[in-house]
Amino acid sequence: MISRQKSIEILEAQSAQHDLLDKPLSQWRLTLRRFRGRRSGMVGLGIVVFLILMAIFAPVIAPYPPNEVLIGKEDVGPREKPCIHILGCDENKPQHIMGTDGNVRDEFSRIIYGARISLTLGFFTVTIALLVGGFFGAIAGYVGGWFDNIVMRIMDVILGFPSLLLAIAIVAVLGPGLQNALIAIAIVAIPAYARVMRAQVLAIKESDFVQASVALGSSSRQLLLRRVIPNALTPLVVLATLGVATAILEAAGLSFLGLGAQPPNPEWGSMLAQERNNLFTSPLLVFFPGFAIMLTVLGFNLMGDGLRDALDPALNR
Amino acid sequence: MRRKNLWFLAVVVLALVASACSSSSDETTTTAAPEATTTTQAETTTTAVPSPDFEGKVLDSGGCDTDGYSGRVDTITAIDEYTVEFKLCNPHPAFLAQIAFGVFGIQPEEHLEATGGAPLANPVGTGPFAVKEWLRGDSVVFTRNDDYYGQVAPQETLVLKWSTESAGRLLELQSGNADGMTFPGVQDYPTIEADPNLQLLNKPEPNIFYMGFTNTFAPWDNVDVRKAVAMGIDRQRIVDTFYPPGSETASHFTPCSVQFGCEGDSWYDFDAEAAKTLLADAGFPDGFDTTIYYRDVTRGYLPTPGDVAADIQAQLKENLNINAEIVVMESGEFIQTSSAGGLDGIHLLGWTGDYPHITNFLDFHFAETNLQFGNPYPEIYEPLKTASQTADAATAQPLYEEANNAIKEFVPMVPIAHGGAAYVATSAVQGAYAPPWGDVTFNLWDNGGDTIVFVQGNEPISLYCADETDGESLRACAQVVEALYSYDKDGNVQPQLATECVPNDDLSVWTCSLRQGVVFHDGSTFDANDVVVSYTAGLDAASPLHTGNSGVFEYYDYLWNGLINAPAAEG
Repeated sequence: MISRQKSIEILEAQSAQHDLLDKPLSQWRLTLRRFRGRRSGMVGLGIVVFLILMAIFAPVIAPYPPNEVLIGKEDVGPREKPCIHILGCDENKPQHIMGTDGNVRDEFSRIIYGARISLTLGFFTVTIALLVGGFFGAIAGYVGGWFDNIVMRIMDVILGFPSLLLAIAIVAVLGPGLQNALIAIAIVAIPAYARVMRAQVLAIKESDFVQASVALGSSSRQLLLRRVIPNALTPLVVLATLGVATAILEAAGLSFLGLGAQPPNPEWGSMLAQERNNLFTSPLLVFFPGFAIMLTVLGFNLMGDGLRDALDPALNR
Repeated sequence: MRRKNLWFLAVVVLALVASACSSSSDETTTTAAPEATTTTQAETTTTAVPSPDFEGKVLDSGGCDTDGYSGRVDTITAIDEYTVEFKLCNPHPAFLAQIAFGVFGIQPEEHLEATGGAPLANPVGTGPFAVKEWLRGDSVVFTRNDDYYGQVAPQETLVLKWSTESAGRLLELQSGNADGMTFPGVQDYPTIEADPNLQLLNKPEPNIFYMGFTNTFAPWDNVDVRKAVAMGIDRQRIVDTFYPPGSETASHFTPCSVQFGCEGDSWYDFDAEAAKTLLADAGFPDGFDTTIYYRDVTRGYLPTPGDVAADIQAQLKENLNINAEIVVMESGEFIQTSSAGGLDGIHLLGWTGDYPHITNFLDFHFAETNLQFGNPYPEIYEPLKTASQTADAATAQPLYEEANNAIKEFVPMVPIAHGGAAYVATSAVQGAYAPPWGDVTFNLWDNGGDTIVFVQGNEPISLYCADETDGESLRACAQVVEALYSYDKDGNVQPQLATECVPNDDLSVWTCSLRQGVVFHDGSTFDANDVVVSYTAGLDAASPLHTGNSGVFEYYDYLWNGLINAPAAEG
């Protein structure tokens, strides 16, 4: 078991050796090296890759369409316990790895397809928040003055509300549904990206290399797009990775409350909500979607933590 | 000094004597009323000498079929202290069944006046329990009415709690925190039946779960579309999969246990091919998009709303290629909007009978004034109106047959199921029951302790049930306030605060003799004016006592065919 500090030292030694023997490593390759040295980050990456593959190949992996009701097609009833033939389940009974849900649909297939919804929702939400928040944060930080004041006060107001509560309020206005839940979660996430981007821009625009560009006659647009924003992205990447986990969790929360994905969409939060009344009689139907949510959030959090460490410039020293 | 002491002693003695005299005169005052009545423990009836000074009150609608009033009530008159006469505008065969409904409970006129017609948290009645306190968000606590004229409760305290999830309610029972609960989840039936510490109390409540259409929205304005959906839904599959034992697929809107409920032809059989053809002929060969609206509230007629909605959605897609989006609405908004005919898709709703008469099912839903299914159908409401005013059962029978056949022909809704409902009690409870009509009164349950705890689905909205419609409020009220008649354990109508109500020949005038010597929880004596004033508070919109909780008095309005002095409808 190599300690984290030890792995950093090894990486740095390797890096130094590489520097001496070969041409210098790029920043991204260094980051990748440092990331590979973080076991938890790699575990997180593994989980995320696994989920992405599961989402992409859902039609191949899932034995049934997610919304197919099996009443009259197979000899199964609602909330049947898992039946796995190799584990001794009667061969004459149809195999359902995770059993069936209350509407006699294959639970395993729904869990598999649920990854599509959750990951899509997480990525889109973060992308919207990153683009909008990043844009306003960058402009506010670079321009300053009254524009900065107005934008950041708006962001402060949004941040003043608990995120899930604000998301619920927005969905209440827009109406329940997956799309509106996505918009609500994105709106709630915007201020975090705006603030981080603004802080980065404020620091970078005073850097020597930016001042040098100014002296060389670069326009404001060139400065912002070519010098400032690319160098401000690092913390935003970390924030976005962690943000995916938060977005998935909030989406599941909204769906649990009936404000997110609507039936028959196999969204994990709504699947959990549908079976909450059967916690004692069919605990697995609550456990499986709950575990899927937990695993996804854990994966993104571990990966985010690993990325943060890997991208930390202090670890270059 | 010694003389002073003697004087002091004399004063003390005099004061004690005076105090003793005063207390004995108080006792005389309080016992005066009981002395005037003769009560025997074995018999529940008491007699009292009617007061010659009694001034009877009258509720006068101003005459039947006058401008703006077309309700059932002509006058309600306190003839003497213990006699009330209900003079109605038309014959009313279901009168006794109707007045037994707990909404028409009697409270003392002085209390109604003192609370401005809104005893929302402090009702006063004659029932086996009195309200002690309402801990908002937690429970309602009742104390035993030791002077109850009926069977006095074995427990000193009744606690009514609530938990929205059936699993949560069952857990309360299993953990020993409660003695009884309402409506277990379908999936919990085997657990309950296998548990020797629990008893499942089947509640044969007549109910109906249906999917309704509003014919003012396309494509539901097309009767063939409605018929196609009626034939394209496998109702048996829904009942088999999602309903507990004791449930049945509905052949008619009204359960067959209600007289005339199943007159006429049975509902359409499931035939997906014929349904698809009919839909294509109606101009929708590729189906269409619609919405399924429902509220996520468990009832005996719909034990698993989400599952049933999802299955109907799947069947519509599979059998008719209709894409239905499911929309879960807040309960109050759903009831309000669906009742007003404001939902453009399919709405999943149901009905639990309030009193044992077919009018309670058909007249409420298909009357001329009901807009729930859009424009009302005269082929349905006209025979219903005639039948509701017909005293002779033989004459009424063909009219109900005609109405039921018209419902099948015009398909304002698709009747799905009559749900089997149940309560659960711990095995320790003796005498536990769940009646088909009305609600349990817990003086008949005995857990052998001092306190009995019952868990229901939700908190009561208020404890003044003249202006409430939800079962949770009615259950709480049933412990405190009694009506002139009530339902026994088997659902039969029996006299309660009245000893009998006798009709005239055409059932349009009912004279009720009241039980004498009954005392309200506040100590006031029950008499005919309390009946007239209680009905006035509910029925007369111009009365200063017509306040209530929402002020709608929905049951008074619909069961008496409208309020007296009702404000003119807007627009």
